[in-house]
Amino acid sequence: MIDSTVVELSRWQFAVTALYHYLFVPLTLGLSFFIAAVETVYVTTGKAIYREMAEFWAKLFVVNMALGIATGLTMEFEFGTNWSFYSGFVGDIFGAPLAIEGLMAFFMESTFVGLMIFGWKRLSKVQHLLVTYLVAFGTNLSALWILIANSFMQDPVGAKFNPVTMRMELDSFSSLIFSHDAQAKFVHTSIAGYVTAAIFVTGISAYYMYRNRHMAMARRSFRMAALFGVLATAGVITLGDALGFVGGQAQPSKLAAMEAMWQTEPAPAAFNVIAWPSQDQKRNLFEVQVPYVLTPLLTHTMTQEIPGVDWIEADAAKRIANGIPAVAALKVLSKDPTNVDALAQFNSHQKDLGYGFLVKRYAPDQDVEKATPADIQKAANDAVPNVFAMFWSFRVMVGLGLAMLAYFVLAVIFSVRNDVENRKWFLRLAPWMIPIPFIANEFGWLTAEIGRQPWTVYGLLPTWMSASSHSVGYMVFSLIGFVTLYTVFIVIEMTLMVKFIRKGPSSHGHGDHAPPRPALGGRAAAVAMMRKED
Amino acid sequence: MKTLLQFLIYMLLAVVAIVMGVILGDYGSWYFAWFVGTAMIVLVAAAGGAWMDAHDGTVDESEPAGH
Ligand code: HEM
Repeated sequence: MIDSTVVELSRWQFAVTALYHYLFVPLTLGLSFFIAAVETVYVTTGKAIYREMAEFWAKLFVVNMALGIATGLTMEFEFGTNWSFYSGFVGDIFGAPLAIEGLMAFFMESTFVGLMIFGWKRLSKVQHLLVTYLVAFGTNLSALWILIANSFMQDPVGAKFNPVTMRMELDSFSSLIFSHDAQAKFVHTSIAGYVTAAIFVTGISAYYMYRNRHMAMARRSFRMAALFGVLATAGVITLGDALGFVGGQAQPSKLAAMEAMWQTEPAPAAFNVIAWPSQDQKRNLFEVQVPYVLTPLLTHTMTQEIPGVDWIEADAAKRIANGIPAVAALKVLSKDPTNVDALAQFNSHQKDLGYGFLVKRYAPDQDVEKATPADIQKAANDAVPNVFAMFWSFRVMVGLGLAMLAYFVLAVIFSVRNDVENRKWFLRLAPWMIPIPFIANEFGWLTAEIGRQPWTVYGLLPTWMSASSHSVGYMVFSLIGFVTLYTVFIVIEMTLMVKFIRKGPSSHGHGDHAPPRPALGGRAAAVAMMRKED
Repeated sequence: MKTLLQFLIYMLLAVVAIVMGVILGDYGSWYFAWFVGTAMIVLVAAAGGAWMDAHDGTVDESEPAGH
C-alpha cells in the first residue's frame, strides 16, 4: 500500500500547483472576449481609441496567458509522475480530452495570439478582429476540454470498467462531452473568467480615472467592462445554481457536506446560512437556519428529500458490502481472465466496485474479504468529505459572487449616468475589488475538489489508491520546488502587470494628461471632457 | 459579385448557426447557452462603448499616426 503521507503530499502538490495555476486562468478566459468586444467597436466605429484600448488590454492579456501556460504544463506531467495508478486506470478516457486540448485548442490559441499581438500592420481590421475572436474561442476551448476531463472525475459517465484489461474504457465519447456536469461546469467556469476580467478592467480603469490619467480609455473601458461584468455575474450565479443541481444528483455526499446537513430531514429542509460544523461530533456546533429554503434551492421542488450525512454513510456501508465480492472476483480474474464464475460474480457486483476498493486500506492484509463490520464502517465514514472546508469554501464563493453583482450593478448605474468620476469612493473601491474574483475562483475549485473526496473518480477510484509510490523526501523536495518556482512566476506577473499599468496605453495624445475636471456636475462634466479629449 | 459573395457567406453563417442551435439545443443545452450568452455579453459590452461615443456626440477620430 502507498504510504499515506505520500498520498497526502501528492494531494498537496496537486492542490498547490492547481491553485497557483488558477490564479492566471480566469483572467485569460475573460479578457480575451473583452478584447474582442473592444475590437468589435473599433471595427464598427473606426475610432482609433478602441484600437489603443485593445492593444493595451492585449498586452496585459499576453503576460497573464504566458504564465498561465507555463504553470499549466507542469500539471499535465503531474498526472503521470504523481498519480500513475490513476493515469493507468482512467487514461483511456482522461487522455482523450487532454490530448484534444493540447492539439486543437492550445495550438489554436498559441498560433493566433502571435497574430493578435504582431499582426496589426499585416492584417486588415476585419482579419485582425477574426484572429482576436479565434484567440478568445481557443482559450475557452482549452478550458472546455480540461473541464470535460475534470467532469469525468466528478461524474464518470461514458465509460465502463473492463475486468480483463483492469482499466476503465471509453464507452461513449458523446456521453462524456455532453454530460450535464461537464456542460454546467464549463459554462460556470468560463463565465467566472468573464467576471474576473470585468473586475480587473473596471478596477484598473477606476485607478486611472481617480488619477485623471488616460481618461478616454478609462471611461470607455469602464463602461464596457461594467456591462460585460453585470451580465457575466448574473450568468455565473445562474450556472452556479445549475451546477449545484446537476452536481447534487451525481454527488450527494458533496451536497450534504456543502450544506452541512448531518441528518436527512423531511422536505422542505432548512438552509444553514451560517454554521460551525464538527466532523467528529457529526453535528453543527452552531447554526443559523432559514426554514424550508434548502429543498427548493437545491432540487427546484418542495418535495424531494435531500440525503444528509447519515444517509450517505449508511448507503456507503451497504455499497461497500456489495462491492467486496467485485474486488474479490477481480483478484481471481487478474490470475485467470477466463474464469467464468469470477466474471459472473464481478458483473453482478461491479456497480459498487469502487466502494469495495474503499475498504481495502482498512482490511487485514488489504484483503477485502477479511474486512470486519468495523472496517466497513470506518470506510463508510470516509465517504463524506470535510464538511467544514466544504461549507465555508462554498459560502465564500457564493458570498463574493453576490458582492460582485452588487458592485457591477452600481458600476453600470454610475457609468450610464456618466457619474462615475464624481464617485470618488467608488473609484477608490474598484481597484480593491480586483482580488475578489480570484479568491472566488480559488474557493470554487476548493469546493469542487475537496467535495469529490475520498475519490479521484467519484464512486470508482479512491484517492488513496491513485497516487504513485514515491518517497516522502522526493515529494517534499518537489513540493518546495514548485512553491518556490510558482511564487517567482507570480512575482514576475505582478511586476510586469504593475509596470504596464503604470505606463498605461501608448497615448497618441488621446487620453494622457486630460485637462483638470471642470466644475460641472456629473454627466455634463463628463460630456464636456470627452469632447475636449476626443 | 461582391454583394453576392457577402450574401452567401452570411447565409452560410446563418445555416451553421441554425444547425449548431438544433444539435446543441438537443444534446448540449448549456453549451448552447454559453454560445448565445457569450455573444450577448460581448455585443452588449461593445454596444455600451459605441453608445457612449454616439450618445455623447464626440467627434470622429482618425487612425493614430505611426500605425
Ligand atoms: C453566486 C453563486 C454561485 C454559486 C451558486 C456557485 C456554485 C458552484 C458550485 C456548486 C460549484 C461546485 C461544482 C462542482 O462540484 O464541481 C462551483 C464551482 C466553482 N465556482 Fe462557483 N458558484 C457561484 C459563484 C461563483 C463565482 C462568483 C465564481 C468566480 C468568479 C465562481 C467560480 C467557481 C469555480 C472556478 C468553480 C470550480 C470549477 C467548477 O466546478 O465549475 N463561482 N460553483
